[in-house]
Amino acid sequence: MGYVAIKGGEKAIDGAAEALEALRAGGPVSGSEPLSLNAIEHQLRLLTSRIMSEGGLYHPQLAALAIKQMQGDTLEAGFALRAYRSTKPRLLETPPQDTGNMRLIRRISSAFRDIPGGQMLGPTHDYALRLMRFELAEESPEPFRKMASTFLKNAPEESLPDSFPKVLDALRSERLLPPKAEHRNPAFDITRDPLIFPVSRSAALATMARAETGSMLAIAYSNMRGYGDIHPTVAELRVGYLPVMLPHPVTGELTEAGEVLMTECEVIAMYEPDDTESARGAAPEFTLGYGACFGHNETKAISMAILDRALQKGMRDGPENPSEDPEFVLMHIDGVDSMGFANHYKMPHYVTFQSDMDRLRSTREKYQARGETPQEETHES
Amino acid sequence: MNNHATEASWPPPRSQWLQYWSAAPAEQAETLAAEIAEHCEVSDVTLPQNGLGLLKLPDSALNDLYFLGEVPVSHAHVEVVAPDGTRSEGGARLLDDRQSLARALAVLDATLADRLPKHEQALDLLNTGRAAVQQTRAERNAILATTRVDFSLLGDGSEDDDE
Repeated sequence: MGYVAIKGGEKAIDGAAEALEALRAGGPVSGSEPLSLNAIEHQLRLLTSRIMSEGGLYHPQLAALAIKQMQGDTLEAGFALRAYRSTKPRLLETPPQDTGNMRLIRRISSAFRDIPGGQMLGPTHDYALRLMRFELAEESPEPFRKMASTFLKNAPEESLPDSFPKVLDALRSERLLPPKAEHRNPAFDITRDPLIFPVSRSAALATMARAETGSMLAIAYSNMRGYGDIHPTVAELRVGYLPVMLPHPVTGELTEAGEVLMTECEVIAMYEPDDTESARGAAPEFTLGYGACFGHNETKAISMAILDRALQKGMRDGPENPSEDPEFVLMHIDGVDSMGFANHYKMPHYVTFQSDMDRLRSTREKYQARGETPQEETHES
Repeated sequence: MNNHATEASWPPPRSQWLQYWSAAPAEQAETLAAEIAEHCEVSDVTLPQNGLGLLKLPDSALNDLYFLGEVPVSHAHVEVVAPDGTRSEGGARLLDDRQSLARALAVLDATLADRLPKHEQALDLLNTGRAAVQQTRAERNAILATTRVDFSLLGDGSEDDDE
């Protein structure tokens, strides 16, 4: 059987694109206004954050455009952002940036009440009732515009530092944590080099940093529920703006080139006697997991931190659960990869399916030729 | 990098100029750079570019290096020659797509570095940008100050909910 050319495919595809645009406008009688990128970027800031991290590119305006273009489909929006980045030249690799310099808007710890600098809840839904606020359905523009200025006017006058010390540093000073590595391997570039297992932790962190939030949450949740051994405590969860320092083209001095909103999380996992250096004669220590991503996305950062800790164990001792298996985790959390594979099944498979049908018919004929009657499936009504 | 210039240290060190100019309206920077180019000779030391940069971080748990993702980057390096023959080099690297803006800021950088004609306006724009940076800082400060948790209230009674 060969391929069969058909008429009208291109016309239908063009029509599909037009239909998509027509529905974006809400149909002929909707009277809706086109969404501005500014509105998407700020009013859907958590969605914009998600697209930036899953697209692997910190660009709030383009993330907002991708959301608009893809009509809110997060996977397609992340795909569009990645496609865009693949068209741009790579100009540089930044020097290592210190997240201790993040200009925070949120900082909490579930390990200690009193952390140096204090806990600041920042903008969060954590303590809000999950009840519908119907007044937002008919929101007036005037009070909406005044909200930010009113908030500023009513804020207590308190001068706070831009950055705060890390909670982990206190524990590290008590020698309850593993020391930081002194010799660091070069960072692994997942955009240029394929993942070949076993992979470095650097490759795992980069892969998780741009992974799909729901996929990471699902696998991390499996670990939390029992297919794993992590009972994490969030040492610190922080959201803020990281100043990115680049060498000045003339002086070479590190100069702030801009800032990037990011979420960072460190979790502490309980030590186990056979799970730490204690088995090798060293004092037992807590173990750590680390998560970070572009934008404000706490679920992703926490999930990543849990998976990082699980993968460290799997890399060292061999995986006992799916969440500890680097290949299982890292090959199944990328939104563009997994969405692409799932959706490719929508594409025509006429030839392969015809082949499947031929094989089934042929098998049945062989049964009949041998005088066997295949048992027909019975369907109860 | 987090130490914003105070009045006493005005003008700030060169390493803070780009941060402040980037916070000022871009059109003002480009207009001023165009005006400077009318009086001075501006040439590119390297052609302005825009593209991406890999953002490298050490993880704060174990200190391994990794890439968080990519950021837009534009880059410019120019030489400005004043009518009196004074030469000055300026540069800019920004997390921004607009190489025209990077070039404009590189021109301002050169102009202010060697006090070329119109450096006063470049200084004014620096002040405008600094005000914008301080406003942003105040907004973030307000978020932190409003949401600071006072645990001492919980400790006063017997209803602590510590685990």
